Amino acid sequence: MESGDAAAQRPVTLDITVEDVKTDAPVSPEPTSLQIPSRDLVLPTEDSIDLGGGEFASPQEVSIATPSESLMEKLNEQMMESVMISDSPLNSEENDVAPIDSFLDGEEEEEKEDDDEEEERENAGEISGDKQELSETGPTITTLQVPVEGHEGGASEEEVEEDTKEQTDSQEDAVAFFSPLVDTQDPQIDLQSEDPATEEASGMSPKHKPLPVCTIFSHGTHPKSLVPDGFQPTLIKSPSFSMGSGGGGDDAVTPTKLTAPLVCQPSPSLSKFFTDNGQTNPATDFFDSFTAPSDFISVSNPNAEIPPGASPAPIAPTPERQLSSTSSSISSAAGPLDSDTPTLITVFGPVPTETTTKTQPPTPQIVPAPTAPPASVPTTLPQPFNQLQAVFSGNDDPFATALSLSEVDRRHDAWQPSEETRKVLISVATQQFSPAFVETSKLTMPGLKFDNLQGDAVKDLMLRFLGEQAAMKRQVLNSNSVEQSFTGLKQLITSKNWRAAVDLTGRLLTAHGQGYGKAGQPTSHTTDSLQLWFVRLALLIKLNLFQNAELEFEPFGNLDHPDLYYEYYPTVYPGRRGSMLPFSMRLLHAELPQYLAKPQEALDRLHTLKTVCLAIVENLEKGLAEDGTMITLTPENRQASLKLWQSRLSRVMYSMANCLLLMKDYVLAVETYSSIIQYEPHQRVQLLSGIGRIFLQIGDVQTAEGYFQDVERACQMKGSQSSHITCMLMNRAFVHLSQNNYGEAHASFTEVLKIDPKNPVANNNAAVCLLYLGHLKESLGQLEGLVQQDPALYLHESVLFNLTTMYELESSRSTQKKQALLEAVACREGDSFNTQCLKLV
Amino acid sequence: MDVTQAKQEHLLALKVMRLTKPTLFTNLPVTCEDRDLPGDLFGQLMREDPSTIKGAETLMLGEMLTLPQNFGNIFLGETFSSYISVHNDSNQVVKDILVKADLQTSSQRLNLSASNSAVAELKPESCIDDVIHHEVKEIGTHILVCAVSYTTQYGEKLYFRKFFKFQVLKPLDVKTKFYNAETDEVFLEAQIQNITTSPMFMEKVSLEPSMMYNVTELNMVSSGDLGESTFGKMSYLQPMDTRQYLYCLKPKPEYAEKAGVIKGVTVIGKLDIVWKTNLGERGRLQTSQLQRMAPGYGDIRLSLEMIPDTVNLEEPFDIICKITNCSERTMDLELEMCNTRSIHWCGVSGRQLGKLSPAAFLSLPLTLLSSVQGLQSISGLRLTDTFLKRTYEYDDIAQVCVVCQYTSNEC
Repeated sequence: MESGDAAAQRPVTLDITVEDVKTDAPVSPEPTSLQIPSRDLVLPTEDSIDLGGGEFASPQEVSIATPSESLMEKLNEQMMESVMISDSPLNSEENDVAPIDSFLDGEEEEEKEDDDEEEERENAGEISGDKQELSETGPTITTLQVPVEGHEGGASEEEVEEDTKEQTDSQEDAVAFFSPLVDTQDPQIDLQSEDPATEEASGMSPKHKPLPVCTIFSHGTHPKSLVPDGFQPTLIKSPSFSMGSGGGGDDAVTPTKLTAPLVCQPSPSLSKFFTDNGQTNPATDFFDSFTAPSDFISVSNPNAEIPPGASPAPIAPTPERQLSSTSSSISSAAGPLDSDTPTLITVFGPVPTETTTKTQPPTPQIVPAPTAPPASVPTTLPQPFNQLQAVFSGNDDPFATALSLSEVDRRHDAWQPSEETRKVLISVATQQFSPAFVETSKLTMPGLKFDNLQGDAVKDLMLRFLGEQAAMKRQVLNSNSVEQSFTGLKQLITSKNWRAAVDLTGRLLTAHGQGYGKAGQPTSHTTDSLQLWFVRLALLIKLNLFQNAELEFEPFGNLDHPDLYYEYYPTVYPGRRGSMLPFSMRLLHAELPQYLAKPQEALDRLHTLKTVCLAIVENLEKGLAEDGTMITLTPENRQASLKLWQSRLSRVMYSMANCLLLMKDYVLAVETYSSIIQYEPHQRVQLLSGIGRIFLQIGDVQTAEGYFQDVERACQMKGSQSSHITCMLMNRAFVHLSQNNYGEAHASFTEVLKIDPKNPVANNNAAVCLLYLGHLKESLGQLEGLVQQDPALYLHESVLFNLTTMYELESSRSTQKKQALLEAVACREGDSFNTQCLKLV
Repeated sequence: MDVTQAKQEHLLALKVMRLTKPTLFTNLPVTCEDRDLPGDLFGQLMREDPSTIKGAETLMLGEMLTLPQNFGNIFLGETFSSYISVHNDSNQVVKDILVKADLQTSSQRLNLSASNSAVAELKPESCIDDVIHHEVKEIGTHILVCAVSYTTQYGEKLYFRKFFKFQVLKPLDVKTKFYNAETDEVFLEAQIQNITTSPMFMEKVSLEPSMMYNVTELNMVSSGDLGESTFGKMSYLQPMDTRQYLYCLKPKPEYAEKAGVIKGVTVIGKLDIVWKTNLGERGRLQTSQLQRMAPGYGDIRLSLEMIPDTVNLEEPFDIICKITNCSERTMDLELEMCNTRSIHWCGVSGRQLGKLSPAAFLSLPLTLLSSVQGLQSISGLRLTDTFLKRTYEYDDIAQVCVVCQYTSNEC
């Protein structure tokens, strides 16, 4: 080998005494020169990288080796003996105990010691094991470890090791991104890491941060200037609120059509509070006092700490005492809906007069109880009609609306409450109120558990890597720059600014009286407030902030509290029945635990949903209404209803299958996916392909091919759509890939591109194959080109992850290239972009 | 998979990435219905997401391939593949580049480079790529040693190396147990446990018998033409799961003749195991030769060549005994038959069987009947070697089920 001269520079050469000659393994033709004396290792030219795996203390060894264990085994099964696995077949025949080659004197001492210990134990175990230990004589065994003993002098590689460890660490960080589903810690970290950065970005001390509770100021980047003069008295409301109240003659509410940035003012009761200290105090004070009674520490907001003096109020006792305070907060936003109807007062206020005195010290401001209801009276009209209008916005005649919607409502809202809840609902319907009736433990009392996500990780990264100027250029919508309404919310969702959208839902919910720290306080729900909760929680899950979602889901319990049903609000929603909570939210609730490493719980909940869906489908098939009552439905309505509930059923099944897949219970997952085909026959091709891919994932290529053949048959039956041909080609590519035939796989992906040149999956996968074929530059070129030409399709985290990985492999200057990607991302992506895939940090 | 930056004085940078199989991207479906507040927004977002399956967006497992995210674990019998890239970071042309990749194990050093010839020159921003493969055959620490030597523009010869250390772990725990049948068959139970952290598809677990035996795998239940695996539809092992394989070994006829002579330790064969994991990542192992201590039969072995399963109460039935002389000397045998509580032998007890030379055998038809119903043990045979006046007792030779054929009529 020509490297001889280079090697000659290294002082010491250890020669291997016996090079074992193998036919299969490539062995260097000349006596390999080992030039690794320990002092060499400190030379700067040498780097050593521990690729991990060292920490695996090979538990299996223990099971065989430990004497006690093997003794146990002997006791249990006399003849069971452990068999040493020799190395691979090729090696096993001609075995040779090669002399120890004292390569790497520099190996970590400790590790060696461990090894030695293990060996010793193992030897001891085997010897003491018994005379029957036949496998011991197998020629191949000894090669594995024995030779290592004794030859290692401790040497100084540790420095290098340590260096490299850091690197591996940081690399692990970058890598962690792909395990969000498993890693429950992730969301938390997310939040914490982002927050300080946000502060930097906005150049504010935490105290002056805009807080959602204290309204929204128009100044965007300078929320510091809390000038009360600029306020316009505007309620934060959903469109339905404003329109409804407009009809009701509520003058206090200005229409939300104000141009953004919108100025909002807290609702009446809050504004009263606001005038007390609003002018002098920064918002935080207000906020602190607000949050003080909460025993939840905000995950994200540094302002939300509990003041040391304030004792956290336990959830259960507080509500009773703060009833009036709550009713005031209800009246603030949800006032038009429920504040003053006499029934509700009886419902909510077993002790309407007993109020402020008993509340905790920090809260008295919020509890101007006796005055609050009167204060809200002018703004609300207690007629049910008006309330109805508030719910069904934009309709002239509430009655007509109610009638026309009732079919659809019943269809969508049908649900089966538990027996207990059903009784409560019946007693509400029959007006059997009793003070004992309101058990707060049976009510849903949600509140924001954290307030401010307001992060933009992309911008933070830009600040860090590209400088302030570049960062200033990043323009994304935030919760201040859109209309404070459902419209604005949708705008934020579409533009992928989900963090801002979560913030906005927080504000809207705060306006509804379910803001930060309000958890555990009685409140009432409307269709809209629950929809807001749904959007908020769905977005949190989309953002992988599972723990936050779990926190905020908690007050909803098992989603079966009576106040989540329309029957509970006979005056607000007269005649309406069923679940006010959207089905999608139930599904979300059921799915959530699987992302928090509690898949069994998720499965339980999903099965409950499935049971209800099945029962309703059965009712419909028997000619009954959804809830099993004898209402006659028109055939069209029945058909529509069946269709809806079957689609819900299949959606639940999908979730179950996905959950099982996460649990790696492939048998059941495959079974469940297969059973979905009967509900969604048009997804047959996709489902069968998906099952095939599951088998590939397990490694069962043969069975996978069987499924892919089914796919091809199904495709042929349906005629040759291009999408089907694509699907077939993709499947073939995956099979090639699983047979280690990257060349063929690449060819198949390229074939797909001939039919569908813009197919992002095929493009990406073809590039991946190129890398495995050893064409790094080509692969990089292809992916880079795609990202530049069609950022809409290729600024996807998976593609970017591949790209950055290849950058890292390509050169030491990957950071610059990643920064260029960051700029591309900054131009297009919203604040929900997962920056981890850029592997910049 | 990552790499330290070469110290800046070097013009070339060496990067190494282990090429485990890529993974399929999974997305996280969040949906809503048309009547919900976001309307079709969530659906639209999912349809626009390139990683979802079009037409079935709620299917979690997508088709997008992602590169390996970390080094992962490597197990004995798997193939270690790695990308080695040497990139010219400088702005000058570098000459005579030689990249050498060696794998150092505890016992040997292997050269893995595809080619050993030097690359004449490398322009700035270009790279030399190599993908190496190696089937891992040893447990323990492995070190990938990458050495790069090159010549600069100014004729300076430079050299640097990098070490990448990784541990090779054991993927399977195999335990075996032998069962000796009364015939010459041997049953082998092999417990194979997956001690990796990922599910493992067992593609092949077969017993390669030694030359003395023929093997029958007993891991399929044949129903019609298609056999069904005893492990159900899915042939994969979850982490820490154990599975039992059963094999029946029969001595080949030429060895069976000398069955009595098979003594002491015999080699039975070895297990050959092939498994696959994520997207067809393949591994293969063989156990060392499995050995079995042949059961000791003493001087005379008595085995049964024929016996009915079920017999009628109080009705004579026939069995055929095979008597083999396992000793080194010739014997002169005499047969005694003692009745037990349930077993009654027919015929004369104490008859001479004649001389039996070493390793020879004789077949002996006997008739007996049982007076008790149920599962009865056949006992009471005594063989006496008249040369040495030594008696061998044979009890519990076999069992037979005794039924009363009139039961159904009478009851």
